[in-house]
Amino acid sequence: MNHGQQSGEAKHEDDAALTEFLASLMDYTPTIPDDLVEHFLAKSGFQCPDVRLIRLVAVATQKFVADVASDALQHCKARPAPVVKDKKQQKDKRLVLTMDDLSKALREYGVNVKHPEYFADSPSTGMDPATREE
Amino acid sequence: MSNGGGEGGSQQRELHGKRKISRGNDFAFAIARMAVAQICESVEVNSYQDSQTREGLRFSSFQESALESLTDVAVQYIQSIGKTAHLYANLAGRVDGNSLDIVQALEDLGSGLGFAGVSDDNRCLADSGVVKDIIRYTGEAEEMPFIYSLPRFPFSKEKRPAPSLPEVRGEPPDEHIPVWLPAFPDTKLCDQSVETNAGTIVQEIPIKENGTSLRSMQHSFDGARLEILKSLKDARDTAEAEVEGNPFLTVPLRFVEKDVSPFFPPLELSNQVVRINHVPDKHMSNNHYIPVLEASVPLDEINNKNGLADSEDGGKKEGARIQPTLVRFKIGNRKRPTSLAISRSFQEEGWFQEGGDNREKKSEIEDKRGRIDSQIVHSDVK
Repeated sequence: MNHGQQSGEAKHEDDAALTEFLASLMDYTPTIPDDLVEHFLAKSGFQCPDVRLIRLVAVATQKFVADVASDALQHCKARPAPVVKDKKQQKDKRLVLTMDDLSKALREYGVNVKHPEYFADSPSTGMDPATREE
Repeated sequence: MSNGGGEGGSQQRELHGKRKISRGNDFAFAIARMAVAQICESVEVNSYQDSQTREGLRFSSFQESALESLTDVAVQYIQSIGKTAHLYANLAGRVDGNSLDIVQALEDLGSGLGFAGVSDDNRCLADSGVVKDIIRYTGEAEEMPFIYSLPRFPFSKEKRPAPSLPEVRGEPPDEHIPVWLPAFPDTKLCDQSVETNAGTIVQEIPIKENGTSLRSMQHSFDGARLEILKSLKDARDTAEAEVEGNPFLTVPLRFVEKDVSPFFPPLELSNQVVRINHVPDKHMSNNHYIPVLEASVPLDEINNKNGLADSEDGGKKEGARIQPTLVRFKIGNRKRPTSLAISRSFQEEGWFQEGGDNREKKSEIEDKRGRIDSQIVHSDVK
């Protein structure tokens, strides 16, 4: 009995934590806009008038994307650096999210993305074509 | 990078295909792409390798295919959260989802990767490791709103549920009706419909009459055409008589009358209409009065009538007068290609030879028809 009461109290605390977190989401603005999340949720059939839940989904998605991105960043960093031709190139050490790293990162999350070998992707934005390796 | 950004081909193509299908979703997808790019840019990893600088590493740019596929994954993530939460809400017998549904959905999605406390089957959903992770993430990550302010979609998003019964009437409905049910459709309308019930009953009568008149028309077609006119007039008279009694009937009956007038057109036009109608069934080539009855009337009668019609051919006015009755039946036939009809009319001679082969027995009649048809063609040309 005692144990049951304790667990009940613990559950109460957990519940309080969740509600508190949801309440704090009112002040937190996720990067993914509410309208966008609501749109996609509505497309999937889920309807809810509560903004907090939409923000919860937005935050969860943001966390997911950020996790994937940070994993991809780790992969990108762990890759052996390309042969440096100029000193200039070493200076602006700009990292580019590539399909290589992304597919590696996504594989951990259960998403299998394969990149075809011979696809000529459009040149990545923000990268100087001169510094790009062929 | 050895293959120089040459990655993501089929992905790209798939995405393009997908977007071609869901073209209306381009805007949302573009915004999602921007948001994902913003999130990716915000991700920072401290590089401890060169400890003297220790600057954060970030993605400063993206391969386009990579960004698109990541966006696609993110959108799928949102949608699968929505689907799963919806599923759990429905499983619990609810329409609107609540936070626990979403937490459950997040746990389902995170089960592949695993999270804290997943092995405990007696855990509370509110105490989920996923939620704890999210709470930790919100504590760590910098709050960063979307860079652009989205335009509001120009219609009010608030879905107003249908007012419940007590809201409309102010008084509680009958005992057996739950209070939370939406109100009935406008009760005033219901009363009106009761009143107009009598009207609708009366309305049915002329329809029937029209049907009988049509039938009588068909019968009279077999006999003399004047009878049709009479029956039509009768029908109209009865209809008008009904109109006087019932104001609701004025519209359909006037419609009939209006239907008549546009088909008093120049004779050439009426001939053309007849021709279009006739081309597909060759043996009916000439009797422009009787296309409707093709199915029901035996050929011999039609031929007899043809004789009548041909003899009266000078008096096309009468035919024109009857046209309105025919128009109603022709509507279905008009879909037959007019171009075919025209081309056939160009091949008129050869066509008639063919027809002659088919119908050697009635060669005399055919000759007559051929002559008259050629006249019609001439009038068409003119």
